[in-house]
Amino acid sequence: MEFTSILDMEESAYKEKRRPAFYQDLNLDQVIERIRLDWGEEVSSFYYYFPANSGCEDYRREVFADVKAGNLYDILCGFSGRMKRRREACAWKGEVKENLQRAVWHLREVGCYCEAFGQLLEDMGKLPLKSRGMQAFRAYLDRYLSGTSYAEMQSRASRLLKDMGDFRLVLTYENNRIAIAQGEVAGSFDDFLEKLFPGHGKHLVSPFAADVNLVELEEGLMKAFRKRNPEFFRGVEDFYEKYGNYADDCLIRFASEIGFYLSFCRFERKMRERGYAFCEPVMLASPMDGNEDSIDNGRNNENTGNCISGGNCRNGMASITADIRKDSSKKDGEMKDSAVKDSAVKDSTMQAQGLYDLALACAGREVVANDTILYPGEKFFILTGPNQGGKTTFARSLGQLVYFAKMGLDVPAASAEVYRFTNVLTHFSVEESVETGRGKLREELERLANIMAASLEDGAFVFVVINELFTTAANYDAGIMGKRVLEHFLAKGSRGIYVTHLSELAGEDPRLVSLRALLDENGTRTFRVDRSREEAPADAGSLVGKHGLTYRQLKERLA
Amino acid sequence: MNANLLYRDGEWTEGGRYFEERALIQDLGLNTLFWAAGRDVLRDEKDKDRIIALGEPDAFLESTMKKVMLVPLETEDGIRYRQEILQDCLASEAFLYELYACTKGILDAWDKLGRKAGSKTGSRNSARSLIYEIHIMQLFVDSLSKLKALFGKYAGGLRSRGLVSLKARLDAEFSGEKEEALRKILKGIAFYANDKEHEDGVTARMVNKPRIVLGCSLGDGLKLGDFHLEEVDTDTKRYRNPASLLSRAQGYFSERTKTLVNIQRGTELAAQAESLEFNTVRYIVACCEPFVNAFNGFFSQLHMQAAFYRGAVNLMHHMERYQLRSCYPRAGSREALCFRELKEFVMGLEQHRNPVGNTCNIEGKDLLIVTGANQGGKSTFLRSIGIAQVMMQCGLFVAAESYESGIFPSFFTHFTRREDSAMNSGRLDEELGRMSRIVDHVGADSMILLNESFASTTEKEGSVIAYDVVKALTEAGVKVLAVTHLLSFARKVYEEAGTDPDSGVEFLSAQRTEEGRRTFRMIQHAPELTSFGLDLYEELIGTQFILHTD
Repeated sequence: MEFTSILDMEESAYKEKRRPAFYQDLNLDQVIERIRLDWGEEVSSFYYYFPANSGCEDYRREVFADVKAGNLYDILCGFSGRMKRRREACAWKGEVKENLQRAVWHLREVGCYCEAFGQLLEDMGKLPLKSRGMQAFRAYLDRYLSGTSYAEMQSRASRLLKDMGDFRLVLTYENNRIAIAQGEVAGSFDDFLEKLFPGHGKHLVSPFAADVNLVELEEGLMKAFRKRNPEFFRGVEDFYEKYGNYADDCLIRFASEIGFYLSFCRFERKMRERGYAFCEPVMLASPMDGNEDSIDNGRNNENTGNCISGGNCRNGMASITADIRKDSSKKDGEMKDSAVKDSAVKDSTMQAQGLYDLALACAGREVVANDTILYPGEKFFILTGPNQGGKTTFARSLGQLVYFAKMGLDVPAASAEVYRFTNVLTHFSVEESVETGRGKLREELERLANIMAASLEDGAFVFVVINELFTTAANYDAGIMGKRVLEHFLAKGSRGIYVTHLSELAGEDPRLVSLRALLDENGTRTFRVDRSREEAPADAGSLVGKHGLTYRQLKERLA
Repeated sequence: MNANLLYRDGEWTEGGRYFEERALIQDLGLNTLFWAAGRDVLRDEKDKDRIIALGEPDAFLESTMKKVMLVPLETEDGIRYRQEILQDCLASEAFLYELYACTKGILDAWDKLGRKAGSKTGSRNSARSLIYEIHIMQLFVDSLSKLKALFGKYAGGLRSRGLVSLKARLDAEFSGEKEEALRKILKGIAFYANDKEHEDGVTARMVNKPRIVLGCSLGDGLKLGDFHLEEVDTDTKRYRNPASLLSRAQGYFSERTKTLVNIQRGTELAAQAESLEFNTVRYIVACCEPFVNAFNGFFSQLHMQAAFYRGAVNLMHHMERYQLRSCYPRAGSREALCFRELKEFVMGLEQHRNPVGNTCNIEGKDLLIVTGANQGGKSTFLRSIGIAQVMMQCGLFVAAESYESGIFPSFFTHFTRREDSAMNSGRLDEELGRMSRIVDHVGADSMILLNESFASTTEKEGSVIAYDVVKALTEAGVKVLAVTHLLSFARKVYEEAGTDPDSGVEFLSAQRTEEGRRTFRMIQHAPELTSFGLDLYEELIGTQFILHTD
C-alpha cells in the first residue's frame, strides 16, 4: 500500500472544510477546544470532517489502536516535540532580516528535521505495528531516510551545527568598552553563587534574547568574530543555498496529521485519570443493507406530506424505506467487505453503557452516566421530562457517541455498539434568538428543511438529534408537525432522538421508544434517563425538609 | 529563618483564637489590660520608687498583646517556654528594649524603602524594583549584623531556651562567612544601586564603574547565548577621558586576540550595554533570593514577638505600681484550681488600687457554684480567675502569690450583663443562642465561666434551664464555674451532691461578717437559703436604719 496520509486512504480536502452544523449543537466545540488546549497546538480542523467512507473510518480506528497501545504514543509525542522545534526555527528564519542569520536558522531547521525523522524511525523500528496506515508510513520513511541525497544533507548539517556549538567566547565589559575574544571562562562567579545558595536554579540570560535580530552590539561583536572564522560562515551560506528546499511533503503532512491521534490520545488519558470511561466502539453494519426489520410495502414520497394520522403515516414512510433499501442495495458488497468484525446484523442493536456528555465532563461538571439501547425494530427515542432534568445533555451524549465513533476514535462510554451512520444531523432551537412567534418558527422550519433534505442524500443513513421543536407554536400544531418530522426520518430509516415536552408524540408506535428524565422520591432531579411513561411525583414540600427548615428540626437544633 | 520566641517550633499565626473573643474581652475587661501593656511606667531617675508618669501610648504593643493573649497555648511546655523568655527579659530589660527598638528601626527603614508598596512597584524587570531589591539586601545584611551584635552583647544574661536558640540560629544562618560573601556581592553590584541616581553627574570626581566578564557561545540565529558569569565588580574611579584607558583595557587581554566595541553615551549601544548590566545584576540578585526570602518575614515576626514581651514587661511595671504581687502560674492537672491571694488585675488597673485577694484550694471538682449577696465580690472573683486563666494560657505571670490550674484552650465566658437582664423573651432567646453556639464548640478540655446566666427569665424557669445545661456540660467533661442568683438551681445541685466529698461540686459564697459587712472574700459555704431580695431590701430601705445605729 502506497502511503499518502495517516488520516485517510484517499486524499482529503480537510483544510477547506468548515465547521459542521452539528458541531455547536452537540457542544463539540467545547470538547475540541479542550483537546486543542491540552495538546497545545492547532488541531481543530482535523475534527471538522468525517472520513470519506466507512473504510476510512476503520483505517483510522486501526491507526488509533496502534497509537494507544504500547509506547508508540510516547515515541510520537517526542517526534512531535522535535518537529515543533523545526517549525519554530522555520518561523524565526522568516523573521530575521540578515541573510547570515537566516542561513543559520535554516541550518537549525534542517537539523531538527533530520533529528525528528531519524529518531522516529529508530524508535519505531521494531514496534509491532498492526495498522495499515502505520506500517505503510514506516516503510515510506525507511525508504526516504536511506536515500543518498538525504544522507549527504544530514551529514553536512550536523557537521556545521557541531562547529557552531563548539565556539566559546569571552566578553569583557569595562570602561565603556566591550571586548570579544575566543576562549573559555571558568564561570567562577556562577560557582561562587551556586556555593552560597545551592540549587537557586537561576540563569544569566542574554538581554538580547527577546529580539530575534542581532542588536547593534551583537552585530558589532559578530562582525569582528566573522573576520576570524571565515570558513565556517561560508559553509553555512553554501548549505542554505543548496538545501533551501529540503523537506518531503508527505512526511511534513504526516507530522501535522499525527496530531489528530496524539491530541485525542492525550485528552483521553487525562480524562481517564479523572475517572471518565472511554471505549473503542463496536461498529454495526448499517441495517439498511437489506436487514431492515419493519418494512411494509408501499411507495411514493409525497405521502409523507399528506398524512396526518398515525395510521396513514406508517404506510407512507414505509414506502420510502423500501425505496432506500433498493438504492443502497447496490453498495451491499463493498460495505460488507470492510465490516469484517461487525457483529451479526440480525442481533445488532445500537447500545451504550455508561454513556455521558463529554462536554460537561470537560468543563469539570458532574456527569451522570446512562445506559441506553435500541432493541431490534426500535428507531427513535422520544425523550420527555422536567426542565433542567438532563434531557438535552442525554441527547447530546448520543450525538457525541455517533460523532466520535465515525471519527475513528474512542467514545465517551464504558461500552458501546454503534451503527455505521453516514452523517449526524442536529436541530436545536436557538434560545438567544430575538425572533418570536412566526419569525422564529419560520427560522426553525428552514433549518429543519435543510437537515431533512440532507437525510435524502444518496445512501444516507443518518443519526438525528432534535431538541425541542416548535416551542413557539400552539401545542396542537406542534404535535402534528412533530409527528410529520418523525415520520420523515422514520421513513428514511434514520435513527435518532427527539427531545420534546409533548409526551404524546411517542404514541403507540413500536418504532418509537419513550424515555423520561427521572426524579427521585423527593422530586429531586437525578439526571438519569430511563424507559418510562409514568409521571414522577414532584413534591415541592420536600425541598423545605432538605434545608432543615421544618418546625421539629428547628426545635431540636436550638435546644 | 524563624524568631520562635512565642512558640518553640513555629512563628506567630493568627489562627487558634478563643471562641467569640469579643465576648471574652468584654466579660473579663481585657481591653484595660491591653491598654496597660501599651504604656511604659516612667519612674524618677533618682528615686526609683517614685512614678512620674505613663509613657506615650504604643499602639503596636497594645494590639500585639491583644492578638497574642487571645490565642491560648495548649501545652504546659509551651507556657513554660514563654515564661522563661519573659524571665530573661525582666532580668535584662535593657536587652529587650534595645531589641524592640532595633527591630522597629529595621522595619521603619524598610517602610521608607517602600515595604508596603515594594512588592507592587512596577514589573520585576524594572530597574527601579531591582534597585529596591538591592537596597533590601543591604538592609537585611546590615540589620542582621546589628542583631548579632546585640545578642552577643547580652549573651551572658540569656538563659531561656527561646533566646539562646535564637542567638545560635542567627549565628548559624548568618555566619561570618555568609556575611562576608553577601557583602562581597553587594560591593560587586554597588555600581548599579548607588550610581543610577546620579548617573549624569559625570563631572563628579569619582564614579562607580562596572567590570563584568562573561563567557558565552553562539546560539541559534547567531544570537549570543549560554552565558556564564566570570566576574563582576565595582570599580570606583576618578573620572577620566575614556581614551586614556585604552591601553589599560588592551593590556588586560594582551595575550588574546580581541576586538573592542566602543560604547558612546546616549547611543543605542549604550542602552544595550546597560541592559547587559541589568541582566547581570538581576541574575545575581535573583540568586540571592533565598537569603532575602529566608529573612523576609523574620524581622516583622521578631518585632512583633519582642513587642509581646515588651508589653508584658509594661504589665509587670503596672503591677508593681499598685504593689500587686505576681507569680508565674503553674499549668498543672485540670483537676486542680488552687491559688493564694488571687487579685482582679483589671480592677486594680481601673481603680488604681490593690484589690482584695482570694485564696482557694479546690481539687477534683468539675463544677464550682458561687452564690451570695449582691456586691459581695462574686463577679470580681469569677473574673479574677478568668483573667488569670487567660494570662496563664498566653505565658504571662498572674496577679497572685501562687496560681495553679489546668490548661483549657477552649475557654468560654457566658456573662449576663446587668442592663441586659430585663425579662423578655428576646433576651432569653439571645442568651440561649449564645449558649447553643458555645455548646457547638465545647470539648473535653473546655472551661466555661457562667455569670448569672439565664437570669433573663423567671427564677423558676432559669433554674430549670441552668440545671439542664450545667448538668449536660459537666457530664460532657466541661469544667464549669458558675456565679448564680438562681437559688432553686443552686439548692437542687447542693441537695444532690449532699455531703459526698467526691461529688465533684464545690460551693462558695461571698463572705459576710456577723454584722453583715462584706469582706469581698469567697468562702466555702452552702448556698445561701435566703434570696438576695432581702439584701436588696436592706440596701434600699434599711440604709437609714444602719446610719442611725452608727
